[in-house]
Amino acid sequence: MTIITKETPVGQEFSGKPKKITWERLWTFSGGPFAASGWPKKNIHTDIDFAKNAGLPTACASGTQYQGYVIQLLIDLFGEEWLKNGKMNVKFIKLVPEGDTLIAKAKVQSKEEDGSAVKYTLDIWCENQNGDKVLVGTASGLVKK
Amino acid sequence: MPEKKSVHLMEAGEELEPFEFLVTPELNQQYLYAEEDYHPRYLEKNESGPPLVHPALLLNMSNSTRSPSFYLAPGWAAIHAAEETEFLNPARVGKKLRVTWRIVETYEKRGKPWRVTEALVVDEDGVQILRRKLHSTYSSSESAK
Repeated sequence: MTIITKETPVGQEFSGKPKKITWERLWTFSGGPFAASGWPKKNIHTDIDFAKNAGLPTACASGTQYQGYVIQLLIDLFGEEWLKNGKMNVKFIKLVPEGDTLIAKAKVQSKEEDGSAVKYTLDIWCENQNGDKVLVGTASGLVKK
Repeated sequence: MPEKKSVHLMEAGEELEPFEFLVTPELNQQYLYAEEDYHPRYLEKNESGPPLVHPALLLNMSNSTRSPSFYLAPGWAAIHAAEETEFLNPARVGKKLRVTWRIVETYEKRGKPWRVTEALVVDEDGVQILRRKLHSTYSSSESAK
């Protein structure tokens, strides 16, 4: 089941669920497989000292971690078919430290006929608890007519 | 043994060593926790086959830092600034996936080196799963001062 249908209008906005960036989820995403020795692996996403030595103010989430939040929203909107034809272009514009709460959002920018489907282009973004955008971009998906 | 080349010095056309990994149910579930996404499509088999691999796992495992030959000179840090992502087919739990990387563009902006790397994920049957263009910049601890 998809949320976007061929009747969905330009301008309609959608939101995912708020997700808090906790240490446990940072380590789980960026610390390597649980089975690896020395888990979680130290890197700029999992360890404050490691991040500071690399010139960052603190440990920050991998952009792919919250890119995943946007993908979750896009699969909700377009269904599993999106994994066969989905495209997205994103920029990571702000660091995301532990403790931030992010929410993925999407807004229909345009729709056009594409053979037997309607191609939707969406503005996508992720924003934190202050409303600051941390990821911005566009995504496209197909809805069968 | 040849000297390792720091990725911020690699030229267009050069490749990183491919990375192969098996997606076990445990590894997939690690990413479900990290992403707070427990949809049954990632946990249960259906008429099409085993559970789907979570897209965030595909993203994280195809970051160029996963390559066995990825090397960054001491004092340098990589920043994943943007990307273009194309989902081609869903991946299934239990399959071995292979990731390849090729530098496709190099340039300098505001005194910092940039590399555009094309990543391709293919499963053990030769099915193309995911294609990415990763835009990364590199900074040294000296330049951050």
